[in-house]
Amino acid sequence: MTDSVAVQVRSYLAVFGALLVLTIATVAVSYIHLPTTPAVALGITIATAKAALVAMFFMHLKHERRLIYVSLILTAVLFVALIGLTLWSEAYHVPGTKFGPW
Amino acid sequence: MEIPYTTQIRPDTGLTNPKLGIWLFLASEVMLFGSLFSAYALLRMGAETWPDQSAVLSVPLAALNTLILIASSVTMVMAWASLKDGSLPKYRRYMGLTILGGALFLVVKSFEYSEKFSHGLFPSTDIFLALYFTLTGLHAIHVIAGMVVNAYLLGPGTRLWAHHREQFTNRIEVAGLYWHFVDVVWIFLFPVLYLL
Repeated sequence: MTDSVAVQVRSYLAVFGALLVLTIATVAVSYIHLPTTPAVALGITIATAKAALVAMFFMHLKHERRLIYVSLILTAVLFVALIGLTLWSEAYHVPGTKFGPW
Repeated sequence: MEIPYTTQIRPDTGLTNPKLGIWLFLASEVMLFGSLFSAYALLRMGAETWPDQSAVLSVPLAALNTLILIASSVTMVMAWASLKDGSLPKYRRYMGLTILGGALFLVVKSFEYSEKFSHGLFPSTDIFLALYFTLTGLHAIHVIAGMVVNAYLLGPGTRLWAHHREQFTNRIEVAGLYWHFVDVVWIFLFPVLYLL
């Protein structure tokens, strides 16, 4: 095995280990029975960390070109807008969750 | 017809065409799943009551499926690394394991579905189950699509290796990007549908 490939393989195995630990953490946290808001925040944070590891290392995003980053930033903005606007509209129907000034 | 810039970098984008193409496709997939995730959030926020998801669904089976899909992502990237190292036999082993991982995921998923059906739980039962079956069903279709492409690349697709090694290696990287994306979607589906 060439040296550069061997280094990559070692990093893949390290990421695999990290993903296993985070998966166990995801399940363990669910058994603590936190209130909904912190539970959702923690669950999504761990999932985002796992997704970032997969994207950075397995999908080689760590060493990708600028155009890919630009496309993904635009996608992230649209994704947040999609979820954010949807929830914003719903916030008017749930007492106590209105977060607009009007 | 020869596809341009499959191995050479296109000067204006700084990328090969397949690499840019798959990332743009994955961006559209983010919005597809994003629309369903936002529907989930909207319907859950608006619901007066919501079932205890972990009591309705099987957390151990979903955790097992998470491990299977993560492992298959590792074997997929190892398949690509094997080609970078010039070893077709090792590539075949890892790609075979990747397809096996996808198949095991679907077997576990079908156990989950049939267990729900046997208890009279269908998409029409309530809003949560409608979302569960829609999201996991669309994800399962993506797993099947990835397995079909990977099976081609394990079988007749390997002919390309004989004369165009770099192009074949890039093809595996692109197929891998899709497969890892399917893994990422499941990484979010698992806590959202089973645990929260």
